[in-house]
Order: sequence, then C-alpha cells, then structure tokens
Amino acid sequence: MLDTLLPILIAASLALAVIGAWRRVRLWRQGRSAPVDLLKGLAAMPRRYLVDLHHVVARDKVMSNTHVATAGGFVAAAVLMVLVHGLGLAQGVLGWALLAASATMFAGSCFVARRRRNPPARLSKGPWMRLPKSLMAFSLSIFAITLPAVGLLPEDFGSWILALALCTVLVWGLGEMVFGMTWGGPMKHAFAGALHLAFHRRAERFSTKGGEGNRSTGLKALNLDDRDAPLGVETPSDFTWNQLLGFDACVQCGRCEAVCPAFAAGQPLNPKKLIQDMVVGMAGGSDAHYAGSPYPGKPVGEHEGSADGPIVAREGKALVDADTLWSCTTCRACVEECPMMIEHVDAIVDMRRFLTLEHGNTPNKGAEVLDNLIATDNPGGFDPGARMHWAADLELPLMRDLQQAEVLLWLGDGAYDMRNQRTLRSLVKVLRAADVDFAVLGDEERDSGDVARRLGDEATFQSLAKRNIATLSKYRFKRIVTCDPHSFHVLGNEYGELGGDYEVRHHSTFIAELYDAGRLHFKPWKGGSVTYHDPCYLGRYNGEFEAPRNVLRALGIEVAEMERSGFRSRCCGGGGGAPITDIPGKQRIPDMRMGDVRETGAELVAVGCPQCTAMLEGVVDASAEVRDIAELVADALIAAPASTGERSQTQEAQAAEVL
Amino acid sequence: MSEILRRDPRKEWIARNRLHPQHLEVLAELGGGAASEWVGPNGLVRRNPHVVGFMGPNGLKRIDRSGVQQGAGGGGAAKAATQSKPLVEIESPAFLVAVVPDMAGGRLTGHDRDLLGLARQLADADPAAPGAVLAVIFGEHKEDGFAEAGIDRLLHLDGPDVEGFAPEARLGALVAAEEAWTPRHWLIPDSKLGGADLGRRLAARLGERPATGVWQIEASAEADLGWSCTARGAAGTLDIQRSLPRFALALAECAEPVSDTRHAASELTLPQALPAQLSRIEDLGQVAVDPAGVALSEAEFILSAGNGVRDWDGFHHAAEVLGATEGASRVAVDDGFMARNRQVGATGTWVTARVYVAVGISGAIQHLQGIQSCDKVVAINMDPGCDMIKRADLAVIGDSAKVLEALVALVEQAREEKRNAA
Amino acid sequence: MTVLVSVGRHPVTGRSRRADQDARGVELARTLPGAEIGLLHAGRLDEGNEAALRGYLGMGFDALTLIEQPESSDALPALAEALKAAPPQLVIAGERAEQGEGSGLLPYLLAERLGWPLVSGLAAVEEVSGGVATVLQALPRGQRRRLKVRLPAIVTVDAAAPAPRQSAFGPAQRGRLEVSEAPVAADVEMAEWQFKPARKRPKRLKIVKAASARDRFKAAAAKAEGGGGQVLTDVTAEQGAAAVYKLLKEEGVLR
Repeated sequence: MLDTLLPILIAASLALAVIGAWRRVRLWRQGRSAPVDLLKGLAAMPRRYLVDLHHVVARDKVMSNTHVATAGGFVAAAVLMVLVHGLGLAQGVLGWALLAASATMFAGSCFVARRRRNPPARLSKGPWMRLPKSLMAFSLSIFAITLPAVGLLPEDFGSWILALALCTVLVWGLGEMVFGMTWGGPMKHAFAGALHLAFHRRAERFSTKGGEGNRSTGLKALNLDDRDAPLGVETPSDFTWNQLLGFDACVQCGRCEAVCPAFAAGQPLNPKKLIQDMVVGMAGGSDAHYAGSPYPGKPVGEHEGSADGPIVAREGKALVDADTLWSCTTCRACVEECPMMIEHVDAIVDMRRFLTLEHGNTPNKGAEVLDNLIATDNPGGFDPGARMHWAADLELPLMRDLQQAEVLLWLGDGAYDMRNQRTLRSLVKVLRAADVDFAVLGDEERDSGDVARRLGDEATFQSLAKRNIATLSKYRFKRIVTCDPHSFHVLGNEYGELGGDYEVRHHSTFIAELYDAGRLHFKPWKGGSVTYHDPCYLGRYNGEFEAPRNVLRALGIEVAEMERSGFRSRCCGGGGGAPITDIPGKQRIPDMRMGDVRETGAELVAVGCPQCTAMLEGVVDASAEVRDIAELVADALIAAPASTGERSQTQEAQAAEVL
Repeated sequence: MSEILRRDPRKEWIARNRLHPQHLEVLAELGGGAASEWVGPNGLVRRNPHVVGFMGPNGLKRIDRSGVQQGAGGGGAAKAATQSKPLVEIESPAFLVAVVPDMAGGRLTGHDRDLLGLARQLADADPAAPGAVLAVIFGEHKEDGFAEAGIDRLLHLDGPDVEGFAPEARLGALVAAEEAWTPRHWLIPDSKLGGADLGRRLAARLGERPATGVWQIEASAEADLGWSCTARGAAGTLDIQRSLPRFALALAECAEPVSDTRHAASELTLPQALPAQLSRIEDLGQVAVDPAGVALSEAEFILSAGNGVRDWDGFHHAAEVLGATEGASRVAVDDGFMARNRQVGATGTWVTARVYVAVGISGAIQHLQGIQSCDKVVAINMDPGCDMIKRADLAVIGDSAKVLEALVALVEQAREEKRNAA
Repeated sequence: MTVLVSVGRHPVTGRSRRADQDARGVELARTLPGAEIGLLHAGRLDEGNEAALRGYLGMGFDALTLIEQPESSDALPALAEALKAAPPQLVIAGERAEQGEGSGLLPYLLAERLGWPLVSGLAAVEEVSGGVATVLQALPRGQRRRLKVRLPAIVTVDAAAPAPRQSAFGPAQRGRLEVSEAPVAADVEMAEWQFKPARKRPKRLKIVKAASARDRFKAAAAKAEGGGGQVLTDVTAEQGAAAVYKLLKEEGVLR
C-alpha cells in the first residue's frame, strides 16, 4: 500500500510547493524592478550560502553545527526521498544514504528542540515552537518508511494501521517542510533565503573565488532628476522586488534585536519586528500573529497594512509608526549580525526618504538641521565664513593657495564645535610633527551630507555632495585624511556614485601608517587603564578595527576591551541623525555605552569620532574620561631619538607651538 | 535764631577731655550727629581725624577723602538738584513734533522716553524757532513724569472707545490731531506694544510713506525737513540711509532720553469731539494664559529644574505657586522627569526670560548659552563651585527642595496677608 | 483665503529661502480645517527666487500664483488688483519682508486700499464663521488677546504663530508656478535711498549727568556693577528663600 501512496504523497506535496512558490514569487514581484543578473546570482548562490552565510552563523558554534546537521540532512533526505520513494529507486546505496540523511536530520532536530525548551527572549515563538516537532516528524517518518525499502524490516511489517499512522506523520512532515517552505511558515526562510542570497541587492558583499567581498555599506543614490520616480518608499510595493524577497528570508532569530542599541534603550524599534512588519505589509494583514518581542512600548496587533497601503500614515496608525524609523542610529549592528544578510538600514533609510522628501515630516530638530544645511552648509546654522575661526592661530595651509598637497585634511563640521576643535588641533600637531605635506579646504569645505542623507534628505545630500566634489576637483591631492568617520564613510563610499572617487583615510589609520614609517615617536604611556570604543562608521561601515588599536599599542597602551567591541561594538547613539530626531526611550544609548566602559574599569575611553566624543562626554557622572586618539597621540609626542637627527627636533618645536 | 554764638564751657571742656565718660556724646551733640566734626568755640569747624577712616588691608588706618564717608550730607543736595532742573516753557512754538508713546502698563516705557528724546532733538534744533513736543496718549495712565520726559503739550484721550485694542478709534483721534495741528513730525515707537501697528495705520491712512525702524537721525541740508535718518530694513540686515519723512517709526535707543530739563506738559484738547465710529474689530479682552502653557522662548519667568532636583512634586508645586513657566536641563529631560519641549539650552530652547531660576542645574555650557539673554539668573544649588553659580546674579547654596519649600511658604504667606489686608 | 508670500533671505548667508513669517502665515492658514488656500507672490522670477517660492509649495500645495514684477518695483498695485479681482475672505501676510525695505507697510496699504480691516500680530485663528473671524493676537511675553474681526480682512502673523512645517522636496518640485502679468509701478522714492549692510548699533553708554563735580567723580569711580553675583553660602533654607523672594519681588514677576 505504501508503495502506491508514497509517490502520490510526494508528488502532491511537490505540486503544492510549486503553487506556493508561484504565490510567493507573485508577492515579491509587487516590488519595483531592480537590475539583477539572475543566472549569475543563482550560480553564485551555493558559495554565498556555504561561505558567507555560514561565516555569520558560525559565530554561534552550537547553532552552526545544529543547522549544518538539520539543513544538510534535510536537503539530502528530500532529494533522496524523491529518488527512493517517488521514483522507486530503493536499491543499493541510495536507501542507505537516505537512512543516514534522515538520521542526521533527526539528530540536528533534537538540538533544535533543546534550544526551543528555554528559548532566549530574542527568538520568536508561535509557529517557530512547532518547528523541531515538524523536523522530527519528517526525519522519523522518512527513516521508518525507508527501513523496509532497504530490507531491514520485512515489506509487510506491522499492520495497515501502522502504515497509515506513519503516513499521517509523513504528511505533517511534508506539509511543513515542502509545502510550508514556499507557501509560508517557519521553513519559508530556506526557500526565500536561498533566492535572497542569489538575488541580493548588494552582490559585492559576498566573497568570490577571487577574494573576500567588500563591506558595501554606502547607501544607494536616488534618481532626483526623474520627476515621476517616487522619492523613497511609501508602500511595501515601493521596495525593489529583491528587497521584499530579502524581508521574506528572515528567520526571526532575533540576533538583530539583541544587538540593536535603540531596542536596548527602550526606543520603539526592533529590527526583527520591522522586517516582519514589511512581510506582513507585503502580503497584507495585521501584525497580530507576530510572536516575537514587540517594539518597546508598542503592543502587537494594533498595526496593519497592505502592499499598496502606506507604511507610515500621516495621521493615525498604519504598518509602522514614524518614531520606529527615526529611532535607528544606522549603526548597522543588525546588518552585521544578520545570518540572512538582510539590509535593515537600507530599508529604514528608504522609508525615511519618503517621510522627509514627500511628507516633510522629519521629527524634532530634524527640519531645522536640514534647513540649516540648505542655507548654511552646516547643520548648526553657523556662518560658513566662520569655519576656520578655531584655527586662526594655526596658519593652516589652504588648498586655495597651494593648489596641491599630498594630504587633504577634511575637517568636518566638528570645526564649529569647541570640543572637537581640541581634537583637530591635536591632529594638526601630529601631522606637523610627522612633517606631512597637508592642506585644508578652509571655508570652501561644506558638510559632507552624512546627516542629511541619514535623515532621508537625499536632495540636500546630493546638492552638498555635488558641490563638494566640484570643489575637490579643483585641487590635486593624493588622499583625504579626516578625523570624522562619518565624513570618511561618505567621502569614501558614497561620493563615488556621484562622480567623486577619493582615497580616504581615517586619522587613526593615517597615524598608524606614519608610526610604522618611523615618522612619529611616542613617550611611554603613564596613565591608567584605557578602553577603546569602535565608532560604527569606522568599524562596521569600513572594517577599520585594527589601526586605532595599533596606534594605542604604539602609545604603550594595553586596551582593556569592552565586551562589545570590534564588529560587535555598541553604538554611542550619535549616528543616523538620532540625536537630532531624538526619539525618547527608557534610557539613553550613550549612558549604556558608558556603562560598558565602566565594566572594564577603564579610566579613559579612547574614541575616534566627534559624534562619539560628544555623545559619551554628554554622559552625566561618567566613570571615564573621553579622549580622541589624536589627542592621546599629540600628548605623547616626543622628538625622535638622537640617531634620527636634528630635523625632527625642529618639527617638535614647531609642533609645540601649535598647541 | 540769633547770630550770637552761645558757648557752653562745660561742654567745651568735656570735648577737650578725651577721657571724660561723656566725651563722645558731647562731640556728637556739638557736631550735629557725627562725632568727627563740630563747631569750635570760635565758630570754626573742628575735625577729629581719629574717629574717621577705616582699617586698611595692611592694618593701617586709612581716611577716604572722596566724600563717601562724610555722612548723610550729600544725599539731600542731590535730591534738591533733581527738583531744580530748569523748566523750559515754549509759549508759541514754531512747529509741533507729535509723539505717540506706547504707555505700556500706563507708564512711559524706556522706548517712549528715547523717542521723546528724539522729538526734543527735532524740536530744539533751531534755538531761534523752537518747536514743541506734543504727546498723544490714550486711556488711563499712572505716569507722573511727563514734564521730566520732555513733553511740552499733552493730548490725553480717554474713554471707552480707545481702551484696549482699538486701532480704528485711536487712528481716528490721531487723524483729528493731524487735522487740528498738522505737526511737522510724527514720531511713533516701532514696537510690538502697539506703536508699530498704530504708526503704520496712520501713515497708510494719511497716504504718506513713513520711515520704519529708524535708529539714527542727522541734520541734513538736502532733505526736505532738514534731517536724514538711518533705518533698519530687510529684517534688520540692511541700513537704509534716506531723508527723514514726516512720519517716522523709530527703534529703541534711537536717542538719549531727556534728563536735564523739565517741560510744561500742558494739556491740550481736540477742537472738536471725536465722531463715533463703527468698529470692525471687536476686542474680547486679554486671554488668561497658563504660565505652564507659555512657550519657553517667550516666557518671562522660568523655574528650571536640573539633575539636582529630587523632589519633583515639590518642584511642580513651586512652579505653580510662583506662577512660573517650567523649564529643564537636558539631563532632567533625558531622565524622563520633564517633557522634551521644556528643555532649555543650545540643544533645546533659547530663552529670553527676565528672571530665570535654575534649581539644581550645574550649568553645562550649552545650557548657559541658552540662557544668555536672561536678565536675572537665580541659582539654587548644592555645589558652590559649579558654572551656574558663576553666571547667577543671586545664588543660594543649599538643599533646593528646602529652599523651594520655604519660598513657596513665603509667597503663600504674602498672598494671605494681602488678602487679609484687602 | 489667500496667503501673501515673499522671497526671504537667510540672516547668516543671505541665500534666498522661504521667508520665516510668511511660512508661518501659510502654516496658520493650514491650521484652519476646510480652508481653500491660495498662495500669491508678486516679484521677479529667477532661479534663486524660484527655489525659495518652491519652499512654500513644499508645504503641501499644488500651485502658487506669481504676478511677475521687475525687481524694486512697488508690488502694491499688482497685489491689490489681484485681490480685488478675486476677493478672498481672509488675507494672511507676514509682518515684514526679509529683503528690500522690509517696512511691513504692505498689509496696511493693502487694507487701506481695499477698505478692509486689518489685525496685526496674530498667534492663531480660532474660528471663521458667518463672516466673522475670531483670532488670537500675540502680545509680548506669551500673553494673548482675543479679537473678532469682520471679513474680508487682512491679518499679519506674529513670530508666536505656529512654526511652519518642513518644506518637502517632492511636492516642492512638482508644484506649479502660475505666472501672470500685471502693470508695473516703479518705486521712485526708493531709488534715492542708500542701502548698506546693517551696521552693529553702538551700545548705549551710561552717561552720568550730575550737577556737582563730586557726583561726577563718584559716578566715574563707582565700581562696575555685575561681574559675579551675590552668593549665599551657609544660610538656612529660609534665609535663602527670603533672598530669592526679595529678588522676585523687585523684578515684579510674582503676581
């Protein structure tokens, strides 16, 4: 009886899966078109899955092994099942292989079950709680059905009741694992995830045989010249189709939620919920079935939307509230952690673009800052002619006079900030001590456009960027050095699309290079213990984790690392315009970060970003002093040892005059 | 009293004898209050340098000869001087300079006085043909210093028509004044208190183009009226040099107020009564404004809380009793005790309060920037070394909760007394 | 209703922008439910001005009527004609322009010419019904006065009126500028004036006029006031409170 029933069951489930897949594909195709090389993507998919995705998953060893056993076992078992039971090729090695595959899958599903016994808060519950049982049902029933096929049990073992019971379990297993994969349910992640990897909108993120992928963190530009093109994302269907596909790939593992600074601060953002809301919107409906942690302070079930309905309502509620989108600091911790390579920040900025460019609804000081950027080219509304006032006594060489220099020192808007001026003075002292040929743009410099872009004002960003590019194109220089990671990121990664390609260095990288070249000499460190805070826009955005640490090491400082450092560093709360939009939470992000610092017992926290400095220095009753790396280096400068000659002593004397 | 000097030998003797128990008393009696000088037996004033002076910083006795220590004598003379300002009367003026002061709160404002000073400049320019300053005031007033402010003629229009916001009635009166006397100049304060509005209405009605935002005038032979003026234009970003027209709306500090002379301030009346007008604007009166609802940037009196405040109920109660608008430092807002729109400082609201009471605020630089334009700053704080204390005009070091409590008690007590007295 | 809008000028950089007070006027108009709002501008159309005028369209309007006029001409006749041709119930204007003379006279002259009542310095329009508008006038220090004015009327807005909403790029780009012609009246008088960037006004000196030499000397030798206020340490809460109370009383902020 099983011999006739099994092929029917398998064929039926495959047919249903095809129907489900068609429906799913239709949902994704609601999105805007996007240029993707389909065949090339599919060809690259296995490598992206096995290398890049597992590189992220492998950060959790147990989970990684569990997934290898379960998923590997399932894929093997499913293929073999079709061959053995669907096509009746039970002879020989195939049957035994199927037994082994289903056994491996069962072993894996036991680990899945164990994790589901006391799941951490970040995991979604609901349908996900039945997944281990479904996995077991599938693997066990396949195993049992295969036993007679390889001859371990007689063909007519047990009664027809047993066979029927086995079939029922198998139907469950097939339903969840094959039909559910495409129609919807926990296993959807396998189908959508595989295609998402193949058609990812940032293909350059993935490694190829030729080498590692790059971090690909720059936002993609909007076409502002096309009057009919919608500005940003209003409805779920305004996303590109592969973005929608990416949302569907979410496994709701909640790693993003666990690292999100806004979520931890009690601001109404949870990256996982946001992605799930997009999935809800794509298919239409309410978020009542969502079974994970909600946005802090916003109960589940009050929001609903549809593919062509607004995501954020002008008044009242729609799919997502605006303050959820404005809570994001664009720190990319979620993207860094996501095993499915979902691009949360892109989606958030896309939606912000609509709010700013079409609704004109940038919250709190956002509108004022954008107006300032438009009218004065800096977010503070200061006189553009006062940009160099801080350096009146330094006699900084101007590009306008020199026309060329080896290094163009990009000052950033920190030039207006008294705290950051100390950092800049230190950096100038260091550059002079190392005898670097540098110049500044002076009053010709404008805001890089970072804040405008993160606030969704693509128009202002592009206006600033184009004018900056025009200014930069007048002069000849080898590289740009800046002490602002935000300018660094924008100049280095986002101006390229608008026609400005520059070699940009963060000052910590540049100082490290100068030190390695023997152009800087430091006296030994005498202070207390020091920790280092990785700025998001330097670390996660640009992968520069080592240079600042090398500089600190060269100063003789042994960094007492915080628990969350390097690529897992927690944001200071200063990015993405978050201090401007200022969405209230239960606590402040910089306070939490200063708490991290306190745990290390460090007396001083070294930073490399004006935003981080400002945010961390704003913490009341801080346990540690905040210093920029440039300041630490400037303080430790000494003349070169006698062997290197007199020249550097004169430099030192010059440098001493600077401060 | 007779001119003959009467001598009392006993007192003279005591005065000479420094060891006499009544020595000082007698000296004081002879000196008319001060023990340092007295009239000697020959009618000469005798001085005793031993009883004047003060101990200098290095322990030596110093005598200040600037007159500060000379007792109460000086005050009376100064008072007499104010009363003896020369009275200037202009019987038959060559022309009139009309001024319409704001009279906010029934008194001449500083701006009004500046304008009257400007009017005097115009009126007194030619000593041969002096003009007279005519002030037109509306409604009841409490001012008694019209003469000292430099007003020669006063047209006081009273009555229910011109009370409150009655631009149309007032405009009618000014037009009547124009018809009656045709002043050579009309000067009106360019102020939010009403002058800016009324002046523009008048000029528009009479069809003459006024100068607005005038802050300086200079004599000029080329101009029709003999004066040129500098006026602010384009929202205060331009200076416009032009000849002074008949109508000028002038800014505060356009001239020095009158201080040396007194004037007649004689009352005038309009030759005929004002016609009754049908007003198209009806004044429904001032609206009671809850101080808590006043925008921080506009508030006059702010009670602001910072990190040092523990007793929040007490703070809110104090703000209510004092009738102050509540403000907060960034920390208090971040900690969720106050709403975001209450934040004072460079990152919050720049405030312009006349009195700013900072409770438990240490004074971060951003906060101090935000209160730059406050007149009086009071700090109540535990830490005597913080920056807010340095900024404050009055600082009380102590437990803010207790000070506020005591302050609330004082205010309530004062109100109680007032109620009982009334 | 119609809002008169002008091209503003940023106080720091001098770039053209939507004028702050006119934008407040637009916002005020938008607070009225169901109002049909038209934007009207008289002036020259060039690139800088267009960007500024589009700033108003970005507040959510499809079109703006622009009466083209050469620079430094008198906009009054053109505006008066336009308003007379299609009289709105309420005309909202800013208090004064950010460019040119900026005398703030235009609404008054318009009112005089049209024979309409004018109310200045509004903080809010509470209600418009039955040919009468109930409005709140802003007084200094956050105080308000309620007025009723017969329509049609001209009102000007105060800085206390609600802050203008952000101008959104999308609608600003899509909105139309409907250009119309009108006779031009040259401003002859203004041509004779000299314009200079505003000079900082000198701070008023404290001139002491005293009758006697001694008084003058005393005033000159007097220690400058301020520079560190009074600090009360080691006082009881009651003494401290009394000092604060005295100051509040002197300043007259206690009612």
